[in-house]
Amino acid sequence: MATVTIRNVWKYYGQTPAVKDLNVTCPDGSFVSILGPSGCGKSSTMRMIAGLEHISAGDILFDSQRINDLAPKDRDVAMVFENYALYPHKTVFENIANPLRLRGTSDATIKERVTGAARLLEIAHLLERRPHELSGGQKQRVAIGRAIVREPKLFLFDEPIAHLDAKLRAHMRGEIKHLQRNLGTTMIYVTHDQLEALSMADFIAVMHDGELQQWGTPSEIFNKPVNAWVAGFVGEPAMNFLTCDLKRRGDDVVLSHRNFDIPLLPGQVRQLNGAAQAGVARMGVRPDAMTVSMTRPSEAAIEGEIFVNELLGGDMLVEVQLADSRIRVKTTPEFEGKPGETCYLTVNRDKWHVFDAGDGHAYF
Amino acid sequence: MASRDVVHYNTPLQRVLSVLSVVFVIFYLIWTLLPFVIMFVSSFKDLLEAFKLPAVGDWAGVGVFFEFTPTLKHYQTLFSENNFSRYMLNSLIAAGGSAVISVIFGSLAAYSLSRVDFRGKSDLFFWIISTRMAPVVAVMVPLFAIFRSLDLVGTLPGLILAYTTFNLPFAIWILKGFFDNVPYGIEEAQMVDGATRFQAFRSILPLVAPGIGAFIVLCILFAWNDFLFAAIIGSGGAKTLPVATRELVQPQNIQWGAIMAAGVVTTAPMMLLGLVIRKYLVTGLTMGAVKE
Repeated sequence: MATVTIRNVWKYYGQTPAVKDLNVTCPDGSFVSILGPSGCGKSSTMRMIAGLEHISAGDILFDSQRINDLAPKDRDVAMVFENYALYPHKTVFENIANPLRLRGTSDATIKERVTGAARLLEIAHLLERRPHELSGGQKQRVAIGRAIVREPKLFLFDEPIAHLDAKLRAHMRGEIKHLQRNLGTTMIYVTHDQLEALSMADFIAVMHDGELQQWGTPSEIFNKPVNAWVAGFVGEPAMNFLTCDLKRRGDDVVLSHRNFDIPLLPGQVRQLNGAAQAGVARMGVRPDAMTVSMTRPSEAAIEGEIFVNELLGGDMLVEVQLADSRIRVKTTPEFEGKPGETCYLTVNRDKWHVFDAGDGHAYF
Repeated sequence: MASRDVVHYNTPLQRVLSVLSVVFVIFYLIWTLLPFVIMFVSSFKDLLEAFKLPAVGDWAGVGVFFEFTPTLKHYQTLFSENNFSRYMLNSLIAAGGSAVISVIFGSLAAYSLSRVDFRGKSDLFFWIISTRMAPVVAVMVPLFAIFRSLDLVGTLPGLILAYTTFNLPFAIWILKGFFDNVPYGIEEAQMVDGATRFQAFRSILPLVAPGIGAFIVLCILFAWNDFLFAAIIGSGGAKTLPVATRELVQPQNIQWGAIMAAGVVTTAPMMLLGLVIRKYLVTGLTMGAVKE
């Protein structure tokens, strides 16, 4: 159990910075996910916490102890690797027992702890097998077993379920979250899958190009992205972006596009700074913050042409062609429009976002 | 998964080739095995019987080779008069000692070269293997001078050192390939689990065991069969089997029977070793090179 503080941390590989001035505090007992695409520096960050990489600059603290110069074995962390990294020549029992053996734990305690962990992970019947006799999901459980067997200060999970098939992945998401809640140990979980981060974590750190983009709860990240990059990365299907003009019209500020002119809500106008009240901006709206219909519901509706319909089981995704871009809208499978027909989009203005056209930061 | 069988079609050319390959294998077997057979059989023959040969072209007379009364007297001569048990022990100590030392230092060096990046690494690696490029004869005179000034000539430690000089680069070269094939993640997992760097290194040794096994065999073979080093560096106090055998050839008396017996005594242990670890040796030599 520990609070992990990452303070002004940089990581350089040669001249290339992989992590740039990272500042994050993971509260004691929380489940923190570091989310980002490959190459964003999330794995480097985790490996610096584990002690497998040197910290180029800055400090990492467990509670108040600076751990920069401690060897991995002295940090009391447990890690689950993306490729599991099991010991191929050892049985499952010995794999899980390894951290305890290295600490000189007595045989009786080892047996008790290993069987306990194995029962928790439902692999008690596999203890005499070797890793090459196991399926991917079983290997992954063994790797988790090796991590939880010795009650460390901190869990580090590096994309542990990325290589499992979709069904098993969904199952393991719940299991890992449940496990972390039960053990109450601080966990840092690296993933490139925004769904994993949103569904499991207490807090998410979104990283891009080595920089922390946003720190927040899953709902903050999803509903109040700080910039267009975060908004586009989080959420599936992804957010739609349209380049629009902001125009003053009387007391209103209108978002103007070749297909539509829609006024902002009064509260949103106040969130624009003065300079931005006229000029180019990017409008972002999630596919589920719009409705699509075949008849014009109001004058403000956006007219477009159906490009293609995708049935996603319980939902239907309609791709609508506007003058210069396409927009995806989520609707029900009962939607009757056919490709090529004219349709009308209504935007839920409470849930749209406007981003600066230059640096992409969010106004709201 | 696709089948890994090579598909054969029975064309006339194929048939001719398959017959030819059988003929080739038969000749090859005769070529390689006959010397051993003659050596083995002759070592149990009295000298007079050993030199009984059929006339040229008399194929029916081949049976002459096998008409003899077996005798163990050559072996008795070797061990009672010629002190061969001593030389055998010398051979064992020299070959085994150099194998053990080479494997210890070789695996440490190979591990470092495989895992750690430092400036000049590729140059260092090339230099290590380049020490094997000069023929042994070329460096023998300076080596002898060095060994003599260190009082190592004619001693077993001297001989072990000489073999290690040539086995160590070989060990590093072979074992580096094996360490390269062990995923680094396994050691990282060990270190996070609480192992020191050295413990992590030790924990992956079982994974390179085929390489170590293969290397030990090649190293022992090299030292056991070596004549040049043994004759020059080991001469006198550290006489090994090949040198002792050579000394059975005296100007006025070539002891053919004893030489044949010495040949059997020298060859047999290596053949046994080869048989015991044959499987190991083959997987070991290919595993380093071929990635699964």
